Amino acid sequence: MNSTLPNSEAGVSRALDLLRTPNTRLVSIFGSIDENRARHVHYLIDVNGREYRMLSSPVTGPIPSATPITPSAAWYERELHDQYGIECVGHPDPRPLLFHENWPENVHPMIDDASHVPWAEGQHPFLKVQGDGVCEVPVGPIHAGIIEPGHFRFSVVGDTVLHLELRHFYTHKGTEKLFEHTPVMDGVMIAESVSGDNCFSHAVAYCQAIESAFGIAVPPRAQAIRLIGLELERMIAHIADVGALCGDVAFSVPAAYTARIKETLLRASTRFFGTRFWRGMAVPGGVTRDLSSAETCEFGKMVTAAARDFAQMARLILHTSSVQNRFESTGILTAEIARQLGIVGPVARASGIRLDVRCDHPSGRYRDINVDIPLYKYGDVLARARIRIDETAISMHLINETLKELPAGSVLVPAPHSGNAEALSAVESPRGELLYWVRIRDGKITRCHIKSPSFQNWPALPLAVPGNIIADFPLINKSFNLSYSGCDR
Amino acid sequence: MIGDAVERSLRSPHVLISVSELLSNAAGSRMPDVQSDLLTDEIARRVVAACPTSALQINEAAGRTHLILNYGNCIGCSRCVAAGNGAFRYAESVARCGVRKEALIRRWDIQSRAEVVQDDSALSQAAEQIRSLVGRALNIRQVDAGSCNGCEGEIVALTNPYYDLERFGIHFVASPKHADMLLVTGPVTRNMAAALKHSYDAVPSPKLVVAVGACGCNGGIFGGSHAVVGPVDAVIPVDGYIPGCPPTPSMLLTGIVQVLSPYCRLRERRRS
Repeated sequence: MNSTLPNSEAGVSRALDLLRTPNTRLVSIFGSIDENRARHVHYLIDVNGREYRMLSSPVTGPIPSATPITPSAAWYERELHDQYGIECVGHPDPRPLLFHENWPENVHPMIDDASHVPWAEGQHPFLKVQGDGVCEVPVGPIHAGIIEPGHFRFSVVGDTVLHLELRHFYTHKGTEKLFEHTPVMDGVMIAESVSGDNCFSHAVAYCQAIESAFGIAVPPRAQAIRLIGLELERMIAHIADVGALCGDVAFSVPAAYTARIKETLLRASTRFFGTRFWRGMAVPGGVTRDLSSAETCEFGKMVTAAARDFAQMARLILHTSSVQNRFESTGILTAEIARQLGIVGPVARASGIRLDVRCDHPSGRYRDINVDIPLYKYGDVLARARIRIDETAISMHLINETLKELPAGSVLVPAPHSGNAEALSAVESPRGELLYWVRIRDGKITRCHIKSPSFQNWPALPLAVPGNIIADFPLINKSFNLSYSGCDR
Repeated sequence: MIGDAVERSLRSPHVLISVSELLSNAAGSRMPDVQSDLLTDEIARRVVAACPTSALQINEAAGRTHLILNYGNCIGCSRCVAAGNGAFRYAESVARCGVRKEALIRRWDIQSRAEVVQDDSALSQAAEQIRSLVGRALNIRQVDAGSCNGCEGEIVALTNPYYDLERFGIHFVASPKHADMLLVTGPVTRNMAAALKHSYDAVPSPKLVVAVGACGCNGGIFGGSHAVVGPVDAVIPVDGYIPGCPPTPSMLLTGIVQVLSPYCRLRERRRS
């Protein structure tokens, strides 16, 4: 990027001014092109924790960077440049983000023809940490376990980590571009494949955006079933995370035990909904499968039994001294840093930041209920484990309450296949705030932006690791449990 | 309190699923199956129009109309089940796991309402073969070449107490240098192509490669993206394909065993 002076568009200046005011949080920055192929930038800002405000502006040249105002803008602006070639002047780290050295510098797939992109070569400039006894430890992209790919570059002295640099986007699949020209009813299949273990959250967020764009009233029974699916997905994710944390401190019995509880829930989903991960359940207009009253009762019992079993095992886990020894004060993310980076989800709540879409920006059935939000302030691995244990019990409670008062009626209404509209929708996925913004022309998606909680939270991990020993890194990483594919898209 | 956790685990009931219940079982995969006797030309055309991934196609040649179902393209969206008027239902079993790419495809002759049968003889022997595997070892290195993490979730599930892959002597290992088989998921992204190739080169010969999931088999919904190179066989040679989006643990197990079957037969013959 060169250092041409930015010609401050009014919309950009207004957005930056808003970001400077207290009680605002940057949610996302993304680009789009209009019918004349002119570029636009959109700033999505949460005002007072209650209202999503979007400020948009046409872009004709470089724009001033928001990163000096809020570091949480850093990756969004790098993505904006990779996708749209929009330069953010004053960005402290303007290296490419989505594209690696195999991608030519001047190809921006959202504005250029990207069907036959030549292969390029180069070397990624990692930050060099120098000094006596400093060693560099490269890890990945392929890791030792059955995990997604990503690269971690540690600079260590002895066992202690001085600096950690992430290099991700190995699973970047150009997903936002794939949405272009997709009929609204088909887009949900792409949304389900953004992050495989949170596929129902993505599907619901997408469907809600379509429904909000077209003003479709989703039947109350469908909204209730969606809540059950979202909370079940949260339970499954949290139970698996706590088990994996045990696995990372070599406490393999509870690791296997929780894997078993997770499997009972997946098998219950298969039995009652015909799908292990609720794929195909959410469609614009409602859900594809209903529950009979006998099934409702049986399903509730299975969920309750699994959650109680987990709660009792979790108590034993937290009372084990070797677990306490490894979890406590490991990988601390301070509230200060979490706030600056706009951290969301369980990671934010473990650092004392009370953010939850279910309370702050409720949609569907969440508008009618109260959700308890557990909060811990220490920001260590233990706090992130405790948040997940508490939230599993709360999710079970929400599922049972919903099953008890399941509204009567249909679960699906027809959705229109044509028309022009734009809309935003938010869901609290197991990893935190997930947003879909869609623009529809003639019943087809022309732009779909996904704000994933993992994209937001990954930059915080390198700040929780320094000072810890390198052997604790897998544990700290697992306690964040961020999605690579959800981040890379 | 370590003792308490162990005791609780030991006292919990046994959940292990038997081999015969596992093999070919496709419950929860949402893969479709066809009731040949209910298949009509009208239904065939309707499901083909409903299919978003071209897993269903019609082939007309020599006066015969064939309905083609390619499991390798199927993402289990259920639209054919909804549009098929009873002729399409969820498959209880999908034996086409770990097979050659061509064997992922099934065909039905619409005029005679019957499946055009291919040679499946190897499939029925799978149960016998997995028993013969007990006591031997297969080391698998899993590589995510760009997956959404759905397939990984199911591969991890293979190690839980329901499926317990280790009982067959099958282990997941940390390094490709220790592996006999690469289990590869995802459409291969541009950013993972080089790493996948390096992993393949690091596996000592003879080696097996299994492509997992709709993306691994044919690129899935990500085929054609500017950031994706293609399915696994666009980058490294593949011995067997496991369809599904994602394949269930039982489909994965069936596929792994199926890929091994020619080697098992060789071994049996040598013994006699």
